[in-house]
Amino acid sequence: MSADLEFENLVKLYYGDLYRFGLSLTGNEADAADLTQETFYIWANKGHQLQKAASVKAWLFTTLHREFLKTCRRRNRFSNESIDEGAEGLPNVPADCAERVDSRTLLRILGEIAEDFRAPLVLYYMEDLSYKEIADVLALPLGTVQSRIARAKIQLLRRLSETNLPLERAK
Amino acid sequence: MNTREAKEILLLYRGTIDDADPQFHAALKCAKSDPELGQWLREQTNCYDAIRAKLRGIEPPIGLSEKIVRRRPIPFPRDWSRVAQLAAAILISVSVTALLMKKWSERRNRPVAGTQEILVTGEVLDMTCYIAYNLSGPDHAECARVCIRNGLPVGIKAKDGKVYLLTGEPGHSVNAELADYAAKIITIKGKETVRDGFSQLQVEEIRKI
Repeated sequence: MSADLEFENLVKLYYGDLYRFGLSLTGNEADAADLTQETFYIWANKGHQLQKAASVKAWLFTTLHREFLKTCRRRNRFSNESIDEGAEGLPNVPADCAERVDSRTLLRILGEIAEDFRAPLVLYYMEDLSYKEIADVLALPLGTVQSRIARAKIQLLRRLSETNLPLERAK
Repeated sequence: MNTREAKEILLLYRGTIDDADPQFHAALKCAKSDPELGQWLREQTNCYDAIRAKLRGIEPPIGLSEKIVRRRPIPFPRDWSRVAQLAAAILISVSVTALLMKKWSERRNRPVAGTQEILVTGEVLDMTCYIAYNLSGPDHAECARVCIRNGLPVGIKAKDGKVYLLTGEPGHSVNAELADYAAKIITIKGKETVRDGFSQLQVEEIRKI
């Protein structure tokens, strides 16, 4: 397979996932598209350094997250705030609460969660990555990742249940 | 493991993707035997699936993939095995060159062999005319005298036919002393040395015959 075709196939395979990850991190469609493009641009230049073909997906997500963190530092809006300890308890969430939100609302709620917690939570929900892979992508210890996912998930579920949720029209 | 502990663990459980993860095994076993916990787990996984579906339902902008492909930089092929081969070739080439240079330098600076004091009797030659044009003898005496006086190499041809280049002490020419003996038979006392098969005689004394 030619390098061009290989690149095109890779883009087709992962650009959607990367865009969604970027969108959930930035909350902005243009920024998410830029991050996705930048990730593939870096891949085109450095992807050949990757030894294991199986870890391409993790490499792409790691790169996008790293680029996102760089952008955050440049814009000086990097947030290290932690999730309120009060959110520790397990909420009673109606089973259909997630069914009743649209994607935009869900993204808005996700955007209210601190970035340190949001990235692992999004990877937890969206990508078929193991916890070890998520930890690798975010360059965090496994225990930290699981703890952040659990706390962020509780917060997300609380907000979902507390929000005056609009009924999804397209049903 | 009580129900609360099981819930804390199963909060992270996503369904089949986590089935092989041993951290969930005990809690899943609890959920099988505890109907209330089982129901809670089903609601959790349904909620997980719903949120996942919503997030994954977000469509990227139209034309994004084409834009990415168009913007792809022209890759510089870095085939490291080829680079390694090139580096090895350069290394070998440099090594061989260095070795040859060293040999050449050694050969060039090789000390002259067989230094010994000898007497040689024979005709004084203007080496340029002799080697280039085979000119010697009385008929060539005047030319030889002028050439030697003007600094061209001077030699002596012994009776046995062997020719020596005549030299002085380093930095000292003997041409002026020998010019008047051009094409004449004289005896030279001096130190014979050989470099690269070529004999020379460092003049110490000139004896007329």
